[in-house]
Amino acid sequence: MSIDQKFSPIRKGLLEFLVLKIVSAATVYVPDILKRLATTEFATQEGTLYPLLSRLRREGLVDYEWQESEAGPPRKYYHLTRAGRGQLTELEDYWARINQTITKLGN
Amino acid sequence: MRRVITISLNGNAFQLEDDAHAVLASYLDDAGRALAANPDREEILADLEQAIADKCGRFLNPHKTVLSRRELEQIMAEMGPVDGAPAPAPAGPAAAAEPAAAGTAPRRLYQISEGAIVSGVCKGIAAYLGVDVTLVRVIFVALVFLTGGVAIFAYLVLMFVVPYAQTSEEHAAARGLPFNARALVERAKLQAAQFADGATWRRSRAEWRRSRAEWRAHWRQTRDEWRANWRAGAPPPSSPTAAPRAPYVAHVITGVILAVLGIVLAAFAIGWLAVLVSLVATGAVFGWVMPHHAPLWVALVVLLLAYPLIAWPIRAIRHGLYHDAATFHGPSLAAWDGVVGIALIAVLIWYGYHHVAALQDFIDHLARLWNQTLLT
Repeated sequence: MSIDQKFSPIRKGLLEFLVLKIVSAATVYVPDILKRLATTEFATQEGTLYPLLSRLRREGLVDYEWQESEAGPPRKYYHLTRAGRGQLTELEDYWARINQTITKLGN
Repeated sequence: MRRVITISLNGNAFQLEDDAHAVLASYLDDAGRALAANPDREEILADLEQAIADKCGRFLNPHKTVLSRRELEQIMAEMGPVDGAPAPAPAGPAAAAEPAAAGTAPRRLYQISEGAIVSGVCKGIAAYLGVDVTLVRVIFVALVFLTGGVAIFAYLVLMFVVPYAQTSEEHAAARGLPFNARALVERAKLQAAQFADGATWRRSRAEWRRSRAEWRAHWRQTRDEWRANWRAGAPPPSSPTAAPRAPYVAHVITGVILAVLGIVLAAFAIGWLAVLVSLVATGAVFGWVMPHHAPLWVALVVLLLAYPLIAWPIRAIRHGLYHDAATFHGPSLAAWDGVVGIALIAVLIWYGYHHVAALQDFIDHLARLWNQTLLT
């Protein structure tokens, strides 16, 4: 089993965190998010992202508004809600703690 | 000529070749199933459709308005399988289930027209046996020489009887591979990776494809003309989406019946012609002399009326079957039907000339007549 495969469930679990981070930085639509992730280890696809965004919206962490586009139909632009911002802060704290633990353990 | 299905993706109209439509339908079916328990199912499906529609636009321009299976498969590979459960599903059972599915996938013999030289029988056999197509072709050519041409006849029979793999599902069955969106996507990715590997290979292949395309275009023209004649007066084909695909066994049986009826019809036509010529040339039908008081023209009228009367029901049955068959045998059926018919007639005449004295006399007589008319 390659390293890539070993970390697959972890990457999957972290995706929500990363999407929240991307959405917090700017108002984006799905191709923006995919493009942002494409060059990282977390490269993902529509089939994964749409259901994830839908769940985040149901949980009240993100919301979207329709915006006209120059070409084609209107697009959904996502932004972080107040609850989402709170959640993101918690996630960042938690991630920092995990990092610390990992760094400390080897020494 | 391929059938095109017009679909609406989240309100955008697209035209797909019917096997491309099968790819899309399978993807959306899988997505619908994966999201069955999701309260936002409809919204997510609409989002996915819109994303597919955006990707489809990339392949279209004013001179290319129809999407192919390969393009749809590429799009589906980019989309990726749809995550169903609101929480990430445990990887264990799913991973364990996949090899089992691969083992039990049904394997069937199909003709594969993509990358075929003649009709795709060798390609289909290679896919069925899981060996390289070149090996099958070499063996086939060797068999042709060893059997003195009988293998060609076997090929013609297979060409006629074995259905074409048209949908992705059938392509998967031809190779005994599991058919679901996830497997499809994995294969498409793999193919894309392999394709990207060899640039020189690709160039030589492109050249080979071009020459083959010309050859095919020529064939297609012949075939379409043939088909237009055949279709004249035929009922309009039923709407593509409504026609359910008959199971494999039914396809094979239809193919066999079509072939047998074709032989019967050809034999009858030859017999009828022989009677006609014999009557005109000798005033008798294979030695049976007409009653003296009956004029020749009465016999001719009876003969002329008898032909359509007997041939019509056989034709009608073939016609009906043909329309069924056209939906699975692919558009080239008409051309092959013609080729098989001509080949059969040639074989029968050749056999008759060497084994039936009366026919030999008749053909010699005909040849003499022909020479005389040419000389005078």
